[in-house]
Amino acid sequence: MNDVAIVGAGMTPCRSRWVEKTFWELAQMAVSEAVHDAGIHIQEVEAGVAGIYNDIFEFQAIPESGFQGIIGLQNKPLMRVTNGGATGAYAMLAARNMVASGQHDLVLVLGVEKALDCYDFEAESSTPAVVQTIGYSWDPWFERPLGAHASESYAEVIQAYMDEHPGDLAPMARAKIVELLCEQAQNNPYAQRLGEKVTADQVLHSRYVVYPVRVLETCVYTEGACALIFASSEMAQKIKERTGREPIWLTGVGAANEPYFVGNDITRYKVLHRIYSDHVATKKALKMAGIAIEDVQVIELHDAFIPQLMITLAEMGVVPLGRANDLVEEGIILPGGKLLVNPSGGLVFGGHFVGGSNMMSTWSAMREMRARNLEHGLIHGTGASLSMYGVAIVLERRA
Amino acid sequence: MAHTGKTVASAKSKTKPVISTAMLPMEGITDVQGADGVYLQRNDVMFTAMKHTQGEFSDFFRALRDEGKVFGHRCPECRHLIIPPFMRRCPACNFVEMKKEYVNDTGVMVATPVITVFAPSRFKGQEPFGTGRVFLETADGKLSETAMLVRVRTTRGTIRPGIYKRGTPVKIAFCDSRHGEMLDIFAVPQKELTRRQLAKSPLLESEIEWGRLSEMEFGKPTAQLQKTLQEVRVHFQKLAEMIPHSPRATANLANWRRTVTVRTSGGTFGLVVDKGKLQVRKQGVKDPDLVVAVQDPSILLAWLRDSTEPVGDSVKSPALTDLVIEGTLVLNKPELETVTRLDRVPRSLRRDNVVIARSAKANQKTPC
Repeated sequence: MNDVAIVGAGMTPCRSRWVEKTFWELAQMAVSEAVHDAGIHIQEVEAGVAGIYNDIFEFQAIPESGFQGIIGLQNKPLMRVTNGGATGAYAMLAARNMVASGQHDLVLVLGVEKALDCYDFEAESSTPAVVQTIGYSWDPWFERPLGAHASESYAEVIQAYMDEHPGDLAPMARAKIVELLCEQAQNNPYAQRLGEKVTADQVLHSRYVVYPVRVLETCVYTEGACALIFASSEMAQKIKERTGREPIWLTGVGAANEPYFVGNDITRYKVLHRIYSDHVATKKALKMAGIAIEDVQVIELHDAFIPQLMITLAEMGVVPLGRANDLVEEGIILPGGKLLVNPSGGLVFGGHFVGGSNMMSTWSAMREMRARNLEHGLIHGTGASLSMYGVAIVLERRA
Repeated sequence: MAHTGKTVASAKSKTKPVISTAMLPMEGITDVQGADGVYLQRNDVMFTAMKHTQGEFSDFFRALRDEGKVFGHRCPECRHLIIPPFMRRCPACNFVEMKKEYVNDTGVMVATPVITVFAPSRFKGQEPFGTGRVFLETADGKLSETAMLVRVRTTRGTIRPGIYKRGTPVKIAFCDSRHGEMLDIFAVPQKELTRRQLAKSPLLESEIEWGRLSEMEFGKPTAQLQKTLQEVRVHFQKLAEMIPHSPRATANLANWRRTVTVRTSGGTFGLVVDKGKLQVRKQGVKDPDLVVAVQDPSILLAWLRDSTEPVGDSVKSPALTDLVIEGTLVLNKPELETVTRLDRVPRSLRRDNVVIARSAKANQKTPC
């Protein structure tokens, strides 16, 4: 396998709703930013991968078809990836493999999503319609008819973890993480919740969405796009000669999807109190990169829900399972701690445009690695029912 | 060969359309303000009706509907028993064919169930509802290897924390009118059932005594409690008078009509939500759509003070929905919509500057 580098990145601002832009325009904005950031012409790009999670959000089946020509990849291959919440990370994995296999030297990976055009005319609110649209991701025979949906599903995992580890995921630890992510988001110029201040006290008094998860512990719905340019080592060297900037290297990738149905045997079914996919994916990615979790200085983690962020960090081995409160109580992820988590504000404060959220995470991790002189970063994506999809990607900055 | 796809028996029809007609927008294109100009948005739907096949699961759903029984599939090689029978071949044993096996209607919760407070569009009006996974008991007294997601209910008011936990023994009960779907069944804690009910299979919904809220007794109100209740009435009146000044608060109550009797240990009063307005009645209303019971009227007073008086960032009272979920406010039926709409009013009053926040309030963007 060939080495793969990220040579450019481009973002649109994250907004809850862009009445001013369609997803075509958002896609073009991000791609334009990315090629200019990389210092290349779009005609040099040989192929593309488009991450779009949900056709209904885009109001079009095969929504990526309109991109051909708009993003400058006419008469070249463009593959759409859709993998639940982890769509962005899986799209990156596909693009990385196109380069690593030697098939292409320069590949564009783009993630884009609309969401808030969905509207419940009865409730006169977007929210129930957006939740329903995501809810269509559950199976139509056994679970969706019962009202299973994203918050319900993740809350099941969170509650099962708390049953297994009483006292962990303590309300105050969770609230402090929300407060921290809010502060960190203020350093992200594209963050959806720029200018907000959310305190731990507000979190503790916010409403339940699905008991035991409160509204201020959940990610936002976002419209936006992010594009990245992946290059072979040879191409990365040429681009470096043009721009004078060192690329960031993709040195480890891992992915695992847990089974849909819950059971008692982790080798065959989803065990409800685990996010085993995150455990397996991270382990694979770290092994491939030849590093340990302790070597990672920044993690941009897919925080669909704050308690899930805590479980994921435990599954990754940052703390033992059952000791996730230590992330706050031992100051591990607090300012001055040994690990920087979600400097972008994550999906709770930065934004969650599903098809591209994990690319936003990558954009942010690269930015922090350059600004803070860090060697290793980790990108994480999760998604689908019960947080069953997991992807981990190791980034490396070679001085 | 039989003519496949031909209807051989009519559906036991439900009387309502699949989606509420109120969810269908009227045709139209409106001008909306964007950050830098005016843009257009078109009312539309992504519309596909279905005659959705239940395929190989038909047998399972017919067993629920016609027999009042649950079955799973057992692998003859590894002996795993899966419920629901979501596949016919065991991949662990290289796709050997599994065998149908009936299971008991008793089992245990895999984990503490969760409670949905804010539901997707097509489940509006069903909140709060509990969902959790059950390992069912097999004929040999063991548990199934996989668990089945079910609605969980209690015979004692609305679903709330503390009724179920991991390992709670449950019984699967059956609706009297069944259609061949997962909502034909639900779980009830075994400890809420009599010995006779536990022995009955299938146990029907109509054979369970569901708690009746009107029977909740508070005793004679003290002068202090009556005084508190009077303050509650006054503050509700104040809230009602603010609502017409706030377009957002008026929208919160639009297209919703409910008469509500509120019972407390300090006495009873009534609320009427209609045409985007709130009216307060000194007494309970006759034949109310909803009964809300709360032991201590000062709980409502705290919410009202937070709602109608300028406060800082730190709101002291939980939301009304949280009070329902925690079991402090008890509803006579699982219909959270009225309470949810009332909960949105205070934020709307602030956003429309009818109630002025004492400090710069965070411009909070939340998904609900």
